[in-house]
Amino acid sequence: MKLRLSPQTLLVLDAFLVQAEAWKYGYDLSRATGLKSGTLYPILMRLAERELLETEWEAGEPGKPPRHMYRFTADGLRFARSSVSAGASGGLGQVALGLVPPDPVEI
Amino acid sequence: MGTPRNLAARLLRAVLRLAPEESRDWALATLRELDFIEGDWAALFWALGSAAAILRHASSGWRAWLRSKANKETGMNNAGKRALGVGLGMLSALALVGCAFAVLRIIGTVFPGLEHSPWAYWLAVLAIPEAIFVAATVMLWRKRGPVAAGILATGLVMALHVAVHLTLHW
Repeated sequence: MKLRLSPQTLLVLDAFLVQAEAWKYGYDLSRATGLKSGTLYPILMRLAERELLETEWEAGEPGKPPRHMYRFTADGLRFARSSVSAGASGGLGQVALGLVPPDPVEI
Repeated sequence: MGTPRNLAARLLRAVLRLAPEESRDWALATLRELDFIEGDWAALFWALGSAAAILRHASSGWRAWLRSKANKETGMNNAGKRALGVGLGMLSALALVGCAFAVLRIIGTVFPGLEHSPWAYWLAVLAIPEAIFVAATVMLWRKRGPVAAGILATGLVMALHVAVHLTLHW
Protein backbone atom coordinates (compact mmCIF):
# COMPACT_ATOMS: atom_id res chain seq x y z
CA MET A 1 0.00 0.00 0.00
CA LYS A 2 1.51 3.33 -1.00
CA LEU A 3 0.99 6.65 0.74
CA ARG A 4 1.99 9.78 -1.07
CA LEU A 5 4.00 11.86 1.38
CA SER A 6 3.06 15.31 0.19
CA PRO A 7 4.23 18.38 2.13
CA GLN A 8 0.67 18.68 3.47
CA THR A 9 0.67 15.06 4.71
CA LEU A 10 3.98 15.71 6.45
CA LEU A 11 2.45 18.75 8.14
CA VAL A 12 -0.42 16.61 9.42
CA LEU A 13 1.93 13.86 10.64
CA ASP A 14 3.99 16.49 12.39
CA ALA A 15 0.91 17.96 14.09
CA PHE A 16 -0.11 14.50 15.32
CA LEU A 17 3.35 13.92 16.78
CA VAL A 18 2.82 16.79 19.22
CA GLN A 19 1.42 14.94 22.26
CA ALA A 20 1.05 11.86 20.10
CA GLU A 21 -1.04 9.93 22.63
CA ALA A 22 -3.71 12.63 22.86
CA TRP A 23 -6.88 12.64 20.75
CA LYS A 24 -7.12 15.53 18.34
CA TYR A 25 -10.03 17.31 16.62
CA GLY A 26 -10.33 18.21 12.94
CA TYR A 27 -10.62 21.97 13.40
CA ASP A 28 -7.71 22.06 15.86
CA LEU A 29 -5.58 20.16 13.34
CA SER A 30 -6.64 22.60 10.63
CA ARG A 31 -5.50 25.52 12.77
CA ALA A 32 -2.27 23.82 13.81
CA THR A 33 -1.28 22.98 10.24
CA GLY A 34 -2.87 25.93 8.43
CA LEU A 35 -4.57 23.47 6.06
CA LYS A 36 -8.11 24.05 4.80
CA SER A 37 -10.73 21.39 5.46
CA GLY A 38 -10.71 20.38 1.78
CA THR A 39 -7.04 19.43 2.09
CA LEU A 40 -6.99 18.16 5.66
CA TYR A 41 -9.87 15.69 5.55
CA PRO A 42 -8.71 13.70 2.50
CA ILE A 43 -5.37 13.24 4.31
CA LEU A 44 -7.13 12.11 7.50
CA MET A 45 -9.29 9.74 5.44
CA ARG A 46 -6.27 8.20 3.72
CA LEU A 47 -4.41 7.77 7.02
CA ALA A 48 -7.48 6.19 8.62
CA GLU A 49 -8.06 3.86 5.65
CA ARG A 50 -4.46 2.64 5.97
CA GLU A 51 -5.03 2.11 9.70
CA LEU A 52 -2.36 4.61 10.64
CA LEU A 53 -4.98 6.67 12.43
CA GLU A 54 -7.75 5.58 14.77
CA THR A 55 -10.95 7.57 14.98
CA GLU A 56 -13.51 7.80 17.73
CA TRP A 57 -16.57 9.82 18.66
CA GLU A 58 -16.05 11.84 21.80
CA ALA A 59 -18.33 10.78 24.66
CA GLY A 60 -19.35 14.34 25.48
CA GLU A 61 -21.68 15.74 28.10
CA PRO A 62 -25.41 15.06 27.64
CA GLY A 63 -26.96 17.52 25.20
CA LYS A 64 -23.61 18.34 23.67
CA PRO A 65 -23.05 16.79 20.23
CA PRO A 66 -20.02 14.46 20.12
CA ARG A 67 -16.96 15.38 18.07
CA HIS A 68 -14.86 13.12 15.90
CA MET A 69 -11.37 12.60 17.32
CA TYR A 70 -8.22 11.18 15.83
CA ARG A 71 -4.90 9.80 17.06
CA PHE A 72 -2.14 7.54 15.76
CA THR A 73 -2.29 3.78 15.95
CA ALA A 74 0.95 2.05 16.97
CA ASP A 75 1.75 1.54 13.25
CA GLY A 76 0.87 5.15 12.52
CA LEU A 77 3.16 6.43 15.24
CA ARG A 78 6.06 4.34 13.94
CA PHE A 79 5.37 5.46 10.38
CA ALA A 80 5.11 9.13 11.34
CA ARG A 81 8.30 9.06 13.40
CA SER A 82 10.25 7.41 10.61
CA SER A 83 8.80 9.79 7.99
CA VAL A 84 9.44 12.90 10.03
CA SER A 85 12.94 11.79 11.05
CA ALA A 86 13.67 11.10 7.37
CA GLY A 87 12.43 14.63 6.78
CA ALA A 88 14.74 15.98 9.47
CA SER A 89 17.72 14.25 7.84
CA GLY A 90 17.12 16.18 4.62
CA GLY A 91 15.08 14.41 1.98
CA LEU A 92 11.57 14.92 3.25
CA GLY A 93 12.41 18.28 4.74
CA GLN A 94 13.13 19.45 1.24
CA VAL A 95 9.86 17.92 0.12
CA ALA A 96 7.98 19.78 2.84
CA LEU A 97 9.57 23.00 1.72
CA GLY A 98 8.57 22.26 -1.85
CA LEU A 99 12.17 21.99 -3.05
CA VAL A 100 11.84 18.47 -4.48
CA PRO A 101 8.75 16.50 -5.53
CA PRO A 102 7.64 13.85 -3.02
CA ASP A 103 8.06 10.13 -3.72
CA PRO A 104 5.43 7.58 -2.75
CA VAL A 105 6.46 5.66 0.36
CA GLU A 106 5.85 1.93 0.78
CA ILE A 107 4.16 1.11 4.10
CA MET B 1 -26.48 32.79 13.54
CA GLY B 2 -25.25 34.74 10.49
CA THR B 3 -26.28 33.91 6.94
CA PRO B 4 -22.93 32.39 5.87
CA ARG B 5 -22.87 30.09 8.93
CA ASN B 6 -26.49 29.16 8.25
CA LEU B 7 -25.59 28.29 4.67
CA ALA B 8 -22.58 26.29 5.88
CA ALA B 9 -24.73 24.23 8.26
CA ARG B 10 -27.33 23.65 5.54
CA LEU B 11 -24.70 22.58 3.04
CA LEU B 12 -23.07 20.11 5.42
CA ARG B 13 -26.46 18.70 6.48
CA ALA B 14 -27.31 18.18 2.79
CA VAL B 15 -23.93 16.49 2.24
CA LEU B 16 -24.61 14.25 5.27
CA ARG B 17 -28.01 13.25 3.87
CA LEU B 18 -26.61 12.45 0.42
CA ALA B 19 -23.32 10.83 1.49
CA PRO B 20 -22.98 7.07 1.02
CA GLU B 21 -22.55 4.90 4.12
CA GLU B 22 -18.73 4.85 4.00
CA SER B 23 -18.47 8.66 3.89
CA ARG B 24 -21.21 9.44 6.43
CA ASP B 25 -18.98 9.47 9.52
CA TRP B 26 -16.64 11.95 7.85
CA ALA B 27 -19.54 14.15 6.75
CA LEU B 28 -20.91 14.17 10.31
CA ALA B 29 -17.41 14.90 11.68
CA THR B 30 -17.08 18.04 9.56
CA LEU B 31 -20.60 19.15 10.52
CA ARG B 32 -19.86 18.77 14.26
CA GLU B 33 -16.69 20.87 13.95
CA LEU B 34 -18.76 23.76 12.60
CA ASP B 35 -19.87 24.74 16.13
CA PHE B 36 -16.25 25.36 17.11
CA ILE B 37 -15.27 27.60 14.21
CA GLU B 38 -15.03 31.28 15.01
CA GLY B 39 -16.35 33.56 12.31
CA ASP B 40 -19.27 33.04 9.95
CA TRP B 41 -17.25 33.25 6.75
CA ALA B 42 -14.62 30.87 8.11
CA ALA B 43 -17.48 28.45 8.81
CA LEU B 44 -18.74 28.78 5.23
CA PHE B 45 -15.27 28.15 3.77
CA TRP B 46 -14.86 25.18 6.13
CA ALA B 47 -18.16 23.76 4.86
CA LEU B 48 -17.25 24.28 1.18
CA GLY B 49 -13.88 22.54 1.62
CA SER B 50 -15.45 19.74 3.64
CA ALA B 51 -18.20 19.20 1.07
CA ALA B 52 -15.58 18.90 -1.69
CA ALA B 53 -13.56 16.43 0.42
CA ILE B 54 -16.62 14.25 1.16
CA LEU B 55 -17.67 14.35 -2.50
CA ARG B 56 -14.21 13.18 -3.57
CA HIS B 57 -14.24 10.43 -0.95
CA ALA B 58 -17.70 9.28 -2.04
CA SER B 59 -16.80 9.43 -5.73
CA SER B 60 -13.72 7.26 -5.17
CA GLY B 61 -16.10 4.63 -3.74
CA TRP B 62 -18.39 4.92 -6.78
CA ARG B 63 -15.40 4.68 -9.15
CA ALA B 64 -14.15 1.53 -7.40
CA TRP B 65 -17.65 0.03 -7.65
CA LEU B 66 -17.85 0.88 -11.36
CA ARG B 67 -14.38 -0.60 -12.00
CA SER B 68 -15.22 -3.83 -10.19
CA LYS B 69 -18.51 -4.02 -12.10
CA ALA B 70 -16.70 -3.50 -15.40
CA ASN B 71 -14.08 -6.12 -14.50
CA LYS B 72 -16.75 -8.63 -13.50
CA GLU B 73 -18.75 -8.15 -16.64
CA THR B 74 -16.12 -9.47 -18.96
CA GLY B 75 -18.87 -9.99 -21.49
CA MET B 76 -19.21 -6.22 -21.83
CA ASN B 77 -18.02 -5.43 -25.34
CA ASN B 78 -16.30 -2.29 -26.54
CA ALA B 79 -19.57 -0.67 -27.55
CA GLY B 80 -20.90 -1.22 -24.03
CA LYS B 81 -17.78 0.34 -22.49
CA ARG B 82 -18.04 3.30 -24.84
CA ALA B 83 -21.70 3.78 -23.95
CA LEU B 84 -20.80 3.67 -20.25
CA GLY B 85 -18.11 6.32 -20.87
CA VAL B 86 -20.52 8.58 -22.75
CA GLY B 87 -23.08 8.15 -19.96
CA LEU B 88 -20.47 9.05 -17.33
CA GLY B 89 -19.46 12.14 -19.31
CA MET B 90 -23.08 13.26 -19.60
CA LEU B 91 -23.72 12.65 -15.90
CA SER B 92 -20.62 14.65 -14.94
CA ALA B 93 -21.69 17.51 -17.19
CA LEU B 94 -25.20 17.51 -15.75
CA ALA B 95 -23.75 17.47 -12.22
CA LEU B 96 -21.72 20.56 -13.14
CA VAL B 97 -24.87 22.32 -14.41
CA GLY B 98 -26.58 21.39 -11.11
CA CYS B 99 -23.64 22.89 -9.20
CA ALA B 100 -23.90 26.05 -11.32
CA PHE B 101 -27.56 26.47 -10.32
CA ALA B 102 -26.62 25.82 -6.66
CA VAL B 103 -23.91 28.50 -6.85
CA LEU B 104 -26.46 30.90 -8.32
CA ARG B 105 -28.79 30.20 -5.37
CA ILE B 106 -25.95 30.80 -2.90
CA ILE B 107 -25.08 34.07 -4.65
CA GLY B 108 -28.75 35.04 -4.47
CA THR B 109 -28.86 34.32 -0.72
CA VAL B 110 -25.64 36.15 0.10
CA PHE B 111 -26.20 39.07 -2.29
CA PRO B 112 -29.98 39.44 -2.67
CA GLY B 113 -30.98 40.73 -6.10
CA LEU B 114 -27.86 39.54 -7.88
CA GLU B 115 -29.47 36.17 -8.60
CA HIS B 116 -31.95 37.82 -10.97
CA SER B 117 -29.32 39.91 -12.72
CA PRO B 118 -29.16 38.61 -16.32
CA TRP B 119 -25.36 38.74 -16.60
CA ALA B 120 -24.88 36.77 -13.37
CA TYR B 121 -27.34 34.19 -14.68
CA TRP B 122 -25.69 33.84 -18.09
CA LEU B 123 -22.24 33.73 -16.55
CA ALA B 124 -23.03 31.16 -13.85
CA VAL B 125 -25.25 28.76 -15.76
CA LEU B 126 -24.01 29.15 -19.33
CA ALA B 127 -20.64 30.82 -19.96
CA ILE B 128 -18.64 29.16 -17.17
CA PRO B 129 -20.11 25.64 -17.60
CA GLU B 130 -19.69 25.82 -21.39
CA ALA B 131 -16.06 26.94 -21.01
CA ILE B 132 -15.46 24.03 -18.62
CA PHE B 133 -17.13 21.61 -21.05
CA VAL B 134 -14.88 22.74 -23.91
CA ALA B 135 -11.73 22.55 -21.76
CA ALA B 136 -12.69 19.10 -20.40
CA THR B 137 -13.46 17.81 -23.89
CA VAL B 138 -10.09 18.96 -25.22
CA MET B 139 -8.21 17.52 -22.24
CA LEU B 140 -10.01 14.16 -22.21
CA TRP B 141 -10.37 13.60 -25.97
CA ARG B 142 -7.25 11.45 -26.46
CA LYS B 143 -7.27 9.41 -23.26
CA ARG B 144 -11.00 9.12 -22.52
CA GLY B 145 -12.76 9.75 -25.80
CA PRO B 146 -16.22 8.44 -24.84
CA VAL B 147 -16.33 10.54 -21.64
CA ALA B 148 -15.24 13.60 -23.65
CA ALA B 149 -17.97 12.85 -26.20
CA GLY B 150 -20.56 12.67 -23.42
CA ILE B 151 -19.47 16.03 -22.03
CA LEU B 152 -19.42 17.57 -25.50
CA ALA B 153 -22.90 16.23 -26.29
CA THR B 154 -24.33 17.74 -23.10
CA GLY B 155 -22.61 21.06 -23.84
CA LEU B 156 -24.05 21.08 -27.36
CA VAL B 157 -27.56 20.28 -26.12
CA MET B 158 -27.30 23.12 -23.60
CA ALA B 159 -26.04 25.54 -26.25
CA LEU B 160 -28.82 24.44 -28.63
CA HIS B 161 -31.39 24.94 -25.90
CA VAL B 162 -30.14 28.49 -25.33
CA ALA B 163 -30.10 29.21 -29.10
CA VAL B 164 -33.72 28.03 -29.43
CA HIS B 165 -34.71 30.07 -26.37
CA LEU B 166 -33.09 33.22 -27.78
CA THR B 167 -34.65 32.68 -31.22
CA LEU B 168 -38.13 32.31 -29.79
CA HIS B 169 -37.98 35.15 -27.28
CA TRP B 170 -35.88 37.81 -29.05
